Amino acid sequence: MADMIRTNALTKRYGRRRGLAGLDLEVRPGEVYGFLGPNGAGKTTTIRILLDLIRPTSGEVVVLGETPRLGGPALRRRIGYLPGDFVVGGAQSARQLLTHLGHLRGGVAAARIEALAERLDLDLDSRIGSLSKGNRQKIGVVQAFMHTPELLVMDEPTAGLDPLVQQTFLELVAEARTAGQTVFMSSHVLGEVQRSADRVGIVREGRMVAVEAVDTLRSRAVRRVEVTFDAPVPVDAFAGLPDLLDVEVEGTMLRARLAGRADPLVKALARFGVESISIEEPDLEELFYVYYAGSEAGSEATDAA
Amino acid sequence: MLRSVFTKTVWDQRRGLLAWVVGITGVGVLYAAFYPSINSPQMQQALEAYPKGLLEAIGMTDVGTAAGYLGSTTFGLLGPALIIVMAAALGSSAIAGDEESGRLDLTLAHPVSRWSLALQRFCALLVPMVLSSLALWLALLAISGPAQIGSIGPANMLAGSLHLAMLGIVFGALALAVGAATGSRGMAYGAVAIVAVVGYFGNNLGPTISGLGWLHDVSPFRFYAAGQPLQHGLQPGDLLVLAVISGVLVLAGTYRFDRRDLAV
Repeated sequence: MADMIRTNALTKRYGRRRGLAGLDLEVRPGEVYGFLGPNGAGKTTTIRILLDLIRPTSGEVVVLGETPRLGGPALRRRIGYLPGDFVVGGAQSARQLLTHLGHLRGGVAAARIEALAERLDLDLDSRIGSLSKGNRQKIGVVQAFMHTPELLVMDEPTAGLDPLVQQTFLELVAEARTAGQTVFMSSHVLGEVQRSADRVGIVREGRMVAVEAVDTLRSRAVRRVEVTFDAPVPVDAFAGLPDLLDVEVEGTMLRARLAGRADPLVKALARFGVESISIEEPDLEELFYVYYAGSEAGSEATDAA
Repeated sequence: MLRSVFTKTVWDQRRGLLAWVVGITGVGVLYAAFYPSINSPQMQQALEAYPKGLLEAIGMTDVGTAAGYLGSTTFGLLGPALIIVMAAALGSSAIAGDEESGRLDLTLAHPVSRWSLALQRFCALLVPMVLSSLALWLALLAISGPAQIGSIGPANMLAGSLHLAMLGIVFGALALAVGAATGSRGMAYGAVAIVAVVGYFGNNLGPTISGLGWLHDVSPFRFYAAGQPLQHGLQPGDLLVLAVISGVLVLAGTYRFDRRDLAV
């Protein structure tokens, strides 16, 4: 099956300012794709091109087999979109707005809206103007999901949602994936998408820096290790171990970062009396920063691929 | 109820609409109520003492008849001013206002084309124009006895009101078109202000200033008022000119709108 989204050397300039500088993106059917990058990297620009809200300066973009510019309303009927800044008129109730948006899409069953609202704990009958930012964001989530689109495009979907609602949101994403829908969502925080995404694309200064399966990212991720011993230990016992970085020993305390297999470390530890040991969950943020900050070499490698 | 962009826009305008209707009919009624006191020999003499040029500049000519009086006041100054301000407000928010507030992204991410959106928003703008001019007509009819303006007759009063609606529509189209083309409310307001001021004084004074006669010829106010609908009834030719100008403005603005990026 063809890609749900494909861009090829996509560029966008706003006057002299760069929006995108040759972005290559490939989103496969049925996957959840996390589109990551710092603010200003070009995430929103990409997303708005996909919806034909802005037009690329050059390069190719194909969404569900069509160019957004030519696909027009018929193409957008098949997409659910959550803007990064979800702004709507405050005088109406969520129910009125969602019913109206449903009509623009050819009708959405009231029961479907009710069900989504209930799961997100959204009050459909209050004036939108009286709702908190988080509750307004829930309206945005409902309108993106309610017509069960083939492709969901969401710009920073979890911004403003409290942790409990974020959990519900991730369930909705997982269900959409199970139902065969494709989800493309951006974030500037990896933690937000790592639990639900199959693959992650990292964009920086308008280019794709890396595309990885989340599992691969996790296996490569750096873990912080802290071990307390019964008695002081020599630094040399650990300093040379493979994949063990930034080794520090202070008396009975060892601090280091583990960037690969744990086995050599475990074997080395076995020679001493271990009081306690803690290995943090993979800190994907750290890996993320590596891509952000200094990966000129990485970006060239991606270009060559 | 809110099935389309058109019905939704009309519905969203309802509160403001009420205020505009009250304002425009209120002005009409207040002016008309003054007619009996204006229509006295003393007042006519007082007016004749004013320089003719000044009276022309503010459109106060021929105030000795009911039609002339209303044509110079309700339909000559404040009525057009109010309906143009209303048209500027509605026309500039139709696209540019929605875009500046960030709401347009969501609507246009739906299965609605930019052409359809702009045309539906324009149709939604016609509703308050026509409704407020009809309300003005009904109000004038209601007070035509006590205000001694019955000589105009219901048909010609309706003609004057519909000319006023058409004047509003032209400026609404201008505001919507400039807003659609530029995405800027300020530009839309600015365009209306310039065309309204230049058009108004150009219409009244153009013929008296050599070299500026053409300003009178092209002013929207000429097609609005020169045919004197209160005296002579509906002027289909003039209304058609204003309608064609409105149509061309909306099409040109939407053509540009369809080809540009939406602002973030």
